Amino acid sequence: MAEVNQVAANEKAADKPIKKSIVEVFMKGAKKGFYIGVEQILPAMILGYVIIQFLKLTGLINILNIIFGPIMGIFGLPGEAIVVIISAFFSKAAGAAAAANLFSEGVLSAAQCTILIMPCMLMGTLVGHFARIILVSGVNPKHRGLMLLVPIVDSILGMFVMRIILTVMGLM
Amino acid sequence: MSNTQQKEEKVTIKGWIALIVLCVMFSGVFKNFDGPLKAFDFLNLSGAFGKIGDTANTFIGSGGSGAKEGFLEALALIPAVSFAVAMIDTVTELGAMNAAVKLFNPILKPMLGIPGACGISFVATFTSSDIGAVMTRELYDEGQITDKQRSIFASYQYAGSAVILNTINTQAPLLPIVLLAIGPIIVLLFLCKVFGANMVRIILSMKERKAGGVANG
Repeated sequence: MAEVNQVAANEKAADKPIKKSIVEVFMKGAKKGFYIGVEQILPAMILGYVIIQFLKLTGLINILNIIFGPIMGIFGLPGEAIVVIISAFFSKAAGAAAAANLFSEGVLSAAQCTILIMPCMLMGTLVGHFARIILVSGVNPKHRGLMLLVPIVDSILGMFVMRIILTVMGLM
Repeated sequence: MSNTQQKEEKVTIKGWIALIVLCVMFSGVFKNFDGPLKAFDFLNLSGAFGKIGDTANTFIGSGGSGAKEGFLEALALIPAVSFAVAMIDTVTELGAMNAAVKLFNPILKPMLGIPGACGISFVATFTSSDIGAVMTRELYDEGQITDKQRSIFASYQYAGSAVILNTINTQAPLLPIVLLAIGPIIVLLFLCKVFGANMVRIILSMKERKAGGVANG
């Protein structure tokens, strides 16, 4: 709602002949950024940290590690990294929050976090964005299945490429 | 959002400078520079929280967990996100995005197989998930792009969506940890997005050929 109002306000301002000063634009942007933080990042961080806490308290995280260890190993990641991928599936920020949490626990290294930023972004918020982008842009229903494949292929590619780059740079 | 008209605006010198400054700031090239040039780095300008007492901890402390830890971590991210959004809005106001449109227009066809008319929406997708999708639908309705081109363009937008803004916003918890600056990460993500869209491009072209070569490549 606030966003809609803001867009409307921006359009109104754009119609006016008087130009907004750069200082005004900057401060308005800073305010927008603050609300993005409070309305989008903070809830996702709570989600990400609670998921990890739940998995740790129940001991499920050790089981995930054993099951997914071999698959995640292909990308140079421990099995626990699957938690990051699962969280990212719901929301990009929750994936990033989960990875940051596992980093502070010493489960993930900085290099592994760098690899994980690729799937967190490329296949993050998979379902939400399917509606917001694929459905809104009106993609031919025959092509929609193919669309779902794209973020997953991109993520796998991204993780491999990032791993190679970090290895070449001697960071891994 | 009635003004999604695909009208190209004039590119000013100010716009080019703003675009270059933004790229430099996010690239991290001046991060560890000695001298005044280090002010041209996003992380350096973001600064750091003070340490509490004699410990090495910020106000977040150490050993926290669960929702409470998540809350404090989120709180700690807000200054940088706030600053980043302010920077992007400012350079946009100065005309940086118009310059970017000029830059990308000629390469859209070889890179993604979509016409230069998509330039404005293409650049808009760097910082917004929704405007790009709405503009894509309009481009198709106006007959500027074909059904296949719409699918290619949408698949580009889908993975990672607004690649610049989302990296800053959603990956904020990881940015202080990762080993690359934000600029190179965005470039890599961008290249992966282009790869995925080209996969769609190839698959749809092959399907078309199989179906007996429908016009409009």
